[in-house]
Amino acid sequence: MNGCGLRALRGAMEGIAASILCTCDAEGQPNVSMISQVHWVDDRHVALSWQFFNKTRANLLATGKACVELFDPVTHARHRLHLDHVETRTEGPLFEMMKARLAGIASHHGLEGVFRLLGADIFRVVGIEQLTPAARLAVQDRPPLLSAVRSCIDDLARCRDFDELADAVLDGVVRHLHIPHVILLMAEGDGRLFAIGSRGYAASGVGAEILPGEGVIGVAAREGVPIRIGHLSADYRYGAALGAAARQAGLLAVEPCGVPFPGLGDPHSQVAVPILSAGRVLGVLFCESPEIMRFDHEDEDALMLLAGYLGALATLPGEDDPRSAGTPGHLPVERAGLVHVRHFPRDDSVFLENDYLIKGVAGAILWRLLRQNAETGRTEFSTRELRLDRTLKLPDHAENLDARLVLLRRRLEERGACLRIEKTGRGRFRLVAHCAIALQDMDDASAPAC
Amino acid sequence: MAAQGYATPTDDQETWREASPPPGRLPVHLVAFVQGGVAPILGVRGINGRPIVGSAVACRVREMSVLRLFLDCARNAPLLEAVSAGSAVAATFSRARDHRSIQVKAASALLCEAEPGDLTEIARQCAILSDELVDLGYTRSQAQAYVAFDPTCLAVVEFRPDRVFTQTPGPGAGAELRR
Repeated sequence: MNGCGLRALRGAMEGIAASILCTCDAEGQPNVSMISQVHWVDDRHVALSWQFFNKTRANLLATGKACVELFDPVTHARHRLHLDHVETRTEGPLFEMMKARLAGIASHHGLEGVFRLLGADIFRVVGIEQLTPAARLAVQDRPPLLSAVRSCIDDLARCRDFDELADAVLDGVVRHLHIPHVILLMAEGDGRLFAIGSRGYAASGVGAEILPGEGVIGVAAREGVPIRIGHLSADYRYGAALGAAARQAGLLAVEPCGVPFPGLGDPHSQVAVPILSAGRVLGVLFCESPEIMRFDHEDEDALMLLAGYLGALATLPGEDDPRSAGTPGHLPVERAGLVHVRHFPRDDSVFLENDYLIKGVAGAILWRLLRQNAETGRTEFSTRELRLDRTLKLPDHAENLDARLVLLRRRLEERGACLRIEKTGRGRFRLVAHCAIALQDMDDASAPAC
Repeated sequence: MAAQGYATPTDDQETWREASPPPGRLPVHLVAFVQGGVAPILGVRGINGRPIVGSAVACRVREMSVLRLFLDCARNAPLLEAVSAGSAVAATFSRARDHRSIQVKAASALLCEAEPGDLTEIARQCAILSDELVDLGYTRSQAQAYVAFDPTCLAVVEFRPDRVFTQTPGPGAGAELRR
């Protein structure tokens, strides 16, 4: 191998230029073809997409050897890789990464439905030949990414709570990485994700829900790996899956409620990176662009670094104020009108009159606060008491509660609701109502279409 | 199914059936296709037994039966060595605009010298391919780099195909086109 190793060739594996492949059968008869995807795995391995039961496949099974030529469209360097087949994966993170990229490539070339990933063939790279050297340096039309990530992390390090972290990561992506369209989503225990903030859209979409496995975001969360597409495929578009899920649930006549996903109408490039901590997926950082091939390996690296740092900070133990909360308070005197708050236990969805507000753990938290307020008049609460309340079914991780409180507070603000949650100190907050509240706990028979 | 405007393996099979070249000759449509700036690539079995792939810069057809592939010799030394050693060869031609792809195979090939007039024809084919790559979204400089070669170091691999296959993406891809 050359001194730079395989990592230096990632630019030739972005899928901009087609690569070429040769295999031989057991008798030495060669077979050559163009290939749509050479996927960089690590410093010693690449993966090729297995799409058809064809001569290439038969040759690989017979001999286990292949040869690929790569062309870097930026530097114009050309390399030949000599490969030994290691294994074929038909599921899992690598498979899903390749499947998403293949779908994008197929869409770009008008071949949706023709290209279908049957497996990810992993190869050990046993030799690299440089056929033509780089003829030009890569001209960067973006800020140096390492420096940009450092600036993002500087901003994160100044944050005192999850609320500030969420804003800092979104602002950092826009300001330092120069990616104008970004959404931060956090995961529920069941794999669904909720947007808790965004930049670059007409509506923030706070509270918008992504189902497990839906689009690049759902796949990135499910598999715990970055998913990146340079040409958007119909297979990875948002919006259809939620409606389909509602219809499957037998709710055909009802429009599914919920917050619309705030994505671009006609995106071409998307990248979703998981926010990981201790092997868990806490959420997903998602970026998109109307440009084709906007995000490359280096952008993906930068976003993974940022998401990793966010994951580490988000799981630090929250600093609860030791002062006791729970002293009865008084709701503000200016109260206008009466609002019926409806709670549906099936999914903890909460409606203000007939308008959907929120669901899941955030919905359960709001319902608990409102009930306690109705029963005792309390308006002051602590995150500690919520953390200890087993009825909320919070997983044992700090960021789950923090993220849900942020989601709830932002959703109430965005809705212009007569209810508000205000921070009053570390680990303390206040429920504020500018209207009279009537609580209605609904039974499952009257479950809404969420 | 492929989107409208893209070729299918069925198209290749129908075109092949409709052609009736004299014995030992290639169909006219195939001869025209492989000389149309269609990104030829060549595969061989190296002298160490491993497959080797290389991109060619153009193809000319002699006597409606012999393919002459032009390769930059500086970047294809092991491949050319394998041809000299008697390797079987496979060549695939892919048209960027509609993905039509044809593969031909032969039991062996010869290494030959370029002839007068070859460079002019190579330049014509490279210009076609370069234009098609630009239509696909390459910049002009990327496209020119993709088709670039050293005219002072040109090798010619000659062979008479004995098998032809459709390699156009879609159902039926890989099927042999038989007489």
